[in-house]
Amino acid sequence: MNKTWRLIRLMLKMQFSMAGKSSGEKIGYLFLLIFAIPFSLFIFYAMDGIIGGLYEVLAPLNNESFILGILFISMFCLFIFISLGSIISSFYFADDIEAFISLPYQPYQIMLGKSAAPFLTLYVTNAAILAPALLIYGGYSDAGVLYYMYAILIWLVTPLLPFVLTAIVIMYLMRFLNLSKNKDRIKIVAGLLTFAFIIGLNIILRLDSGSNQLGEDLGQLFMEQNALLELVTAFFPSAYLSSISLTQPGTLLGFFYLVLLFLMTFGIFFIYLTAGQKLYFKGVLGLSAGSKNHLNEKKVTKHIKQKNVLYMSWMKEMKIMLRTPTFFTQIIVQSLVFPVLFIVIVVFDTGNSSLSAASIEPMLEGTDEKYIVLAMLGFTVFALGINPASISSVSRDGKSWFNHLYMPLQPKTVISSKVLAAFTINLVTLLVISVIALAFINIPAVIVSVWLVLSLITNWVTSVVGTSLDLYMPNLKWTDEREIFKGRMIGILALVIEVVLFGSMILILWKSAFITGLWATTIVLAVLLAVFTFVSHLILKKMIHNHFYSIAS
Amino acid sequence: MIDIENITKQFPGKVAVRDLTLQVNDGKIFGFLGPNGAGKSTTIKMMTGILPIDQGRITINGSDMAKQPLETKQKIGYVPDRSDVFLRLKGIEYLNYIADVYHVPTEIRKEKINDLTRSFGIQDALNDHILTYSHGMRQKIVVCGVLLHDPEVWILDEPLTGLDPKSSFTLKEMMREHAKKGKTVFFSTHVLEVVEQLCDEVAIINNGQLEFLGDMAEMKRQFKDDENLEKVFLELTQHE
Repeated sequence: MNKTWRLIRLMLKMQFSMAGKSSGEKIGYLFLLIFAIPFSLFIFYAMDGIIGGLYEVLAPLNNESFILGILFISMFCLFIFISLGSIISSFYFADDIEAFISLPYQPYQIMLGKSAAPFLTLYVTNAAILAPALLIYGGYSDAGVLYYMYAILIWLVTPLLPFVLTAIVIMYLMRFLNLSKNKDRIKIVAGLLTFAFIIGLNIILRLDSGSNQLGEDLGQLFMEQNALLELVTAFFPSAYLSSISLTQPGTLLGFFYLVLLFLMTFGIFFIYLTAGQKLYFKGVLGLSAGSKNHLNEKKVTKHIKQKNVLYMSWMKEMKIMLRTPTFFTQIIVQSLVFPVLFIVIVVFDTGNSSLSAASIEPMLEGTDEKYIVLAMLGFTVFALGINPASISSVSRDGKSWFNHLYMPLQPKTVISSKVLAAFTINLVTLLVISVIALAFINIPAVIVSVWLVLSLITNWVTSVVGTSLDLYMPNLKWTDEREIFKGRMIGILALVIEVVLFGSMILILWKSAFITGLWATTIVLAVLLAVFTFVSHLILKKMIHNHFYSIAS
Repeated sequence: MIDIENITKQFPGKVAVRDLTLQVNDGKIFGFLGPNGAGKSTTIKMMTGILPIDQGRITINGSDMAKQPLETKQKIGYVPDRSDVFLRLKGIEYLNYIADVYHVPTEIRKEKINDLTRSFGIQDALNDHILTYSHGMRQKIVVCGVLLHDPEVWILDEPLTGLDPKSSFTLKEMMREHAKKGKTVFFSTHVLEVVEQLCDEVAIINNGQLEFLGDMAEMKRQFKDDENLEKVFLELTQHE
């Protein structure tokens, strides 16, 4: 036990030590701490509103234990969500695992050491949310000393159960995953989950008719669905035990449930140690094992095909963007945020927003089609945004840029493949807008078709302009891919060019009294876009000539 | 044949290569030696088209690198000193891409990819991302890619760094075979033992200038017959 304790202390020291941290980082932590004070006050007041609202509705019916039930279930889910990432990175991604494996420790001892840091960080959330919530509930229910004593004990053990269960599931699954080969994929999935989380939150907020009465509404909801709540608590026995023992601290039942909660926690902890002993090393030791998809001569031959160089270069760009976690989140996910949010606004909004399908449709009737096309095109320019795929075209290659220089490749081919890749990424955005325009807002097919053609040209121009800019001012000396997207002027510059170019075009046509109707507007737009395309290609050609060979030196 | 005529390369505040002239004939293995910062990599970068030449001319089998870059590059197979290329591609995707760039027909690439990856022992890993390869494996996949189009001139920058003994042996054998077929092999290295084992001709560069050019025997004759190459090398570079 002493040995385990020393290992845990060592690992915690390594994790939280300030040694080697720059003074800038230390100041950063200090600021974080200072900012945490108003933030926690904000959380406190928000929770006070919700718990107060719920209490008002549920207390007269003697159903106030549901507040605690829901609180503990939410904490349980939140702890699982937070633990997922921290357990995977601490148990499997940390660099020091191999150093510890060679030391004379049992697997469960190393697992306990590795658990310490992610487990303790759960207490930050625990202190920020559960502690004030229990205090607020105590205040509303005029609780006595016994409640607060129970509350402290329950507060202490609450993070343990979700953490331990998550760790057991992860350890079980990791036996089958080859992590070293799937690190990128796991990061990409994590990025997608965060994206889904943000969108999900947005949907929930939109479905809510008025947030002022959230607490009372929830109370009504729980009252109507009493049976459902009990059913839900049945899946979270710890939440059930905690809430009952806290609502009846003076009774024997309350004490009995508290003891039961502790017994259950210890029992699960024992299972955790056993699982660690049996499972942890199996997942860790598999880290450096070879891949299962070995290729033999026959399979290799199947993969070999001659293709057009431009196609292969485009394919390479696409694969690199899809497979590099940073590029995936900064380019693919970023370009999805707007169209997906747009779907959420149009489809899920109950009618408050001027963007919802219900409020756009009547506006369209009797409007000159010119304005519809111009508005849609303006919307496209906004949706395509700064086109992160194009302004990182060249920079993405980083120090590997020189590879394009010794290969017998036309600079034009290399750059065209990059422009094409940026263009392809934005096709998803255009497709989403088309579907929404046709299916939800009922914009006539002719207008959508015209808009689509014009948008494709716009997309091409933004891709060419972005790539030209990146060729002019690339960042090839990065050590971390994120540097390509952080603190560079290029994003703002691209946006300014786009606004000036397309914004003025749309504004002039909008104000012009000479040009009316769908076709006249379309022809003028098409001619202007053709001119933009021509000019942007001239600029790109000049950039290739001046910079392609010199940017790496 | 590589023909380097009076090339010069200047960087702000420094002349990296000064008036360098070299000729490497067909069927020869040529070792390019020099201490760190001597100008080896700069010369190789000019030979492969990565850096523009300030003065002078480089021709590869009659093609001028500055005037006909694509035609010249098609004749070269270049193994850079850094093998961290296209890390997110799978081994097989990388080889297919390189074969497309050098226009290697499907049938030939099938045979070459199988032969080369088998002899370097990386065939099993072709379906994995290069990111997961060790340094040695990355070096091997780059060498495989370079040899797919059977280049007339093979240029290698510090090629043996990080390779295990078996793979070093295989690579050296490949360099010999390449030269035996009447093609040119040009490589830079710090490993003097390799130079002794492999090279028909040697050049030593220091501070951007050529210090010695000739065959091994000549080199040894010139600098006391009984001293080993390491001492010769040190003698050459210590004068500056």
